[in-house]
Amino acid sequence: MKLYEYVIRRLILLVFVLLSVSVIVFYFARGFPTGIAPWAPYIHPKMTAEQIEEVKRAHGFDKPLVEQYFYWLRDVLHGDWGLTGAWAQGRPANEVFFNHFGYTVELAVAGTILTIIIGIPLGIISAVKNNKLPDHISRIIALAGYSTPAYWFGFILQLIFFYYFYLWGLPYLPSSGASDLGTATITRIPIIDGLITGNFAYVWDEFRHLILPSFSLAFISLGFLARIVRASMLEVLRQDYITMARSKGLKERVVIYRHALKNALIPAVTLTGIFFAYLLGGAMITEYVFSWPGVGQQALRAVMQGDSNFILLYTLVFAIIIVLANLIVDVLYAFLDPRIKY
Amino acid sequence: MQSQKTEARKSEWEARLADIKYTLHLLRKNKLVLAGSILSLFFIILGFLAPILVDPKLAYPEGYPGDMYPFKRKYMWNANHPIQWGSGVSLYAGPEFFILGTDGWGRDLFKMIILAIPVDLYNAAIITIGAALFGTFLGAIAGYSGGIIDEALLRITDIFFAFPGLLLALVFAAMFGRTIETLRLAIMLVWWPPYVRLMRGQVLSEKEKPYVEALKALGAGPFRILFRHILPNSIYPILVQATMDFGGVILTFSALMFLGFSPSPALPELGNLAADGYGHIFDAPWVLIFPGLTMLLISLSFNLIGDGLRDVLDPRLRR
Amino acid sequence: MNKKAPNKPILEVENLKVNFHTYRGEVKALNGVDFKLYRREVLALVGESGCGKSVTALSITGLLPENAYIVDGKILLKGENLLEKSKEEMRKIRVSEIAIVFQDPMTFLNPVLTIKTQLEEVFMLQEDMLKEAAAIKKSKGSLQFMDLIKSKEKNKKQGEDVAVSKISKKELKEIAEELCTDILRLVKLPDPERILKQYPFELSGGMRQRVMIAMALARRPSIFIADEITTALDVTIQAQILHLLKELKEKIDTSVIMITHDLSVAAEIADRIAVMYGGNVVEIAPTVDLFKKPLHPYTQMLLKAIPDITNPRERLESIPGTVPEMINPPPGCRFHPRCKHAMPICTKERPKIKVVEKNHEVACFLF
Repeated sequence: MKLYEYVIRRLILLVFVLLSVSVIVFYFARGFPTGIAPWAPYIHPKMTAEQIEEVKRAHGFDKPLVEQYFYWLRDVLHGDWGLTGAWAQGRPANEVFFNHFGYTVELAVAGTILTIIIGIPLGIISAVKNNKLPDHISRIIALAGYSTPAYWFGFILQLIFFYYFYLWGLPYLPSSGASDLGTATITRIPIIDGLITGNFAYVWDEFRHLILPSFSLAFISLGFLARIVRASMLEVLRQDYITMARSKGLKERVVIYRHALKNALIPAVTLTGIFFAYLLGGAMITEYVFSWPGVGQQALRAVMQGDSNFILLYTLVFAIIIVLANLIVDVLYAFLDPRIKY
Repeated sequence: MQSQKTEARKSEWEARLADIKYTLHLLRKNKLVLAGSILSLFFIILGFLAPILVDPKLAYPEGYPGDMYPFKRKYMWNANHPIQWGSGVSLYAGPEFFILGTDGWGRDLFKMIILAIPVDLYNAAIITIGAALFGTFLGAIAGYSGGIIDEALLRITDIFFAFPGLLLALVFAAMFGRTIETLRLAIMLVWWPPYVRLMRGQVLSEKEKPYVEALKALGAGPFRILFRHILPNSIYPILVQATMDFGGVILTFSALMFLGFSPSPALPELGNLAADGYGHIFDAPWVLIFPGLTMLLISLSFNLIGDGLRDVLDPRLRR
Repeated sequence: MNKKAPNKPILEVENLKVNFHTYRGEVKALNGVDFKLYRREVLALVGESGCGKSVTALSITGLLPENAYIVDGKILLKGENLLEKSKEEMRKIRVSEIAIVFQDPMTFLNPVLTIKTQLEEVFMLQEDMLKEAAAIKKSKGSLQFMDLIKSKEKNKKQGEDVAVSKISKKELKEIAEELCTDILRLVKLPDPERILKQYPFELSGGMRQRVMIAMALARRPSIFIADEITTALDVTIQAQILHLLKELKEKIDTSVIMITHDLSVAAEIADRIAVMYGGNVVEIAPTVDLFKKPLHPYTQMLLKAIPDITNPRERLESIPGTVPEMINPPPGCRFHPRCKHAMPICTKERPKIKVVEKNHEVACFLF
């Protein structure tokens, strides 16, 4: 099967997955009215009962659930994702989504970079010095990382770096929000916006806000990456071609970096790709703890409010991201490992 | 004929026993696993002893559920406590000594943590076992049947993989009410897919082995083959996965509680206790710190075991 | 090929004892290996699987795994004991003195690196050699790998230092590339430029083996160890590789240790054959002498087990018993449980190898 055939097959599967996911979520979100009614964002207090009924009919809220689904599908295919928000404050769901997406992207990129920078060397050390002290230390760090409750670690960071640093007179890091200087308006990705407009104070401020939440994210996931790198490296180091490389008289360092690493990193790359995609969905808890105005925070709000439109939008975008990420990673695999051919 | 069968069974068990002995030997050599096992054993025992050590009624202060703040000692820390938190903290000068301070209800935080441990352990166990059983069952059927059933089950699993896990659990819990059972079900829904893939893979490779063909020739039905023969041979990776998942499940469970999905705000559960401290991180940090720390230690101990187990059982790393 | 002159041996292995730590116990892999390797000769190390041939090779090159340790013995390379050298010193020795080619070229070549990368790095390790090559190129106008071989011999004889001039990294790389192409031609690989760009899995088994041989030759080693290099190949390719080795042997001043379990391979290419059993060398003799007059009972039975094409009616005799288990090997001479001529002393003491006839050594209490 050629490469493009494979890709097309996966994309068709994606559509199927999207439809199924949307059906399931639709059933859950609309079928059990809790919190506010789905039509709440569309109306405002001044409407009469008949006007409310009209709104309901226009969007099919009075019809049975199955028909509602098709109304929704029709709307979506026209680009209308419905309104989201609390009573009478409805704004288009996709607008709300994309306003916040930039912040999530920023956090995702920062978190992933940190994870890679710390996680991969940790894994390599662990493998190369297997069963010696550096291995034990890095394993404990890695395991502590992913045993840490996300809601707890974020607060501990805030406690130390914001509160106590302030008390002790040290330079402190901001604990919440993304910026004290207003929201980004161009690309909606604050740092990029700052760079484009040459507003470096903004960029710096944004960066300061980014440090704690991205470190919180990275700490929890670097453990996982380090483990994979370690396992992979250990297996590679046992291979015959490593003995061969050593027999040539190559320095151990060269053996590890030129011969072993390329082989060992292939699974790590795939993992990082999936991880990044997951972060793009907005790490809900981290965003909540740091009051980071990302998409995850909005999703949380939507669930609490029973806001079906936003939940649907969020879930579907997330599904697309994950499936695409899997696809990209698989294709990347083919490029990295010359043995694989499609 | 009968003695031949028992002979065969005996040597089968001998082989398994030797294998297990080897595994235990490797585990004993691994210090981290040892530490993890001791720690988790400690927590499990503590969990069992908790109702004896601490009176469970202390969790539900007098007057609750009506009057939630009867005590004058909420968010308090002993003035004569060796550790101090700096200014901004309410100090308590009364007769009782709170090792870890008090929470928003004026309850002794230390005692609440002890009561919370069995709650978390028990629920995490149920969820993990439930997810594992369900996923393994589906995976076995998918792998063994092949064809349409296999495809269908695979696609369904794929769909669940594409879900943002936490969100699904949240939506589910939000829709079906905030009971412990709902929460358990919600998390199980999110954790079962990996087992399907795992078991399916195992079954697929076992299916090709000659002993399965022999069994079929002897007239054994599919369920018998699957559950009496294939399953015991495939159980290792499932066990490893379950042990590793346990640490993650307990974190997810308490995270959901933290986000507000607990059936009652006073329920002694580590995430729930931590949530209480959310609004008071600067003037009563202990309410958040200590339950979270306990959660970390519990999760860490099980992850240590799971990690070591995976290392040890990896066929390529065994000597 | 001068085997008559009493050379000083280039490699001497004395009483080498190596053990391995394993879960099930101590594996006493080498039980006192003794042999000498002379200049410009091909010594075959022959024995069944598990007799310690590869362990010997790994000990010489310093590539033993972590759970191995040297119990006793010496390995003298040009008079220096390799076992006393540091890791870094051994590494340098591997760069230019000892080269080893392994059995299965599929697993011994890195699958994600091109042939060029893997071959070039061998050259790049030897900066002095590359500078020599640059000097040759300047004076001669063209460059071939054989020139380097000749220049090494010349330097050895004359004891001169080659004029070392300043050369840029880029130039060194270019020279290395040229040498890569040329050395592949030397091992009879067609279309070297294309092969350099390929990955190991794109080549056939025989081609990969030639590449490995090239990688070994590139170091102009004093000692060339071939560890079962023909075992993984089918018979026709095997013949080709042996033929190649014989040709190269003529052109290049190096001593070869040919490890194999196949006596016919040894017969084809070796000057002397050392027979190993259970972690010991039990007999060493020039090839013709060994086949004409095998002295050790094990060697005798080995030869009887080979079918003779001229005598189809002869009954094949197999050696009774099995290869000794190395965690609890038989005491004394490790062959005694299977030996027709076993005597009481054989169960108590291990026979040391000694010269019995001209150039013919045996380790057996019968002598």
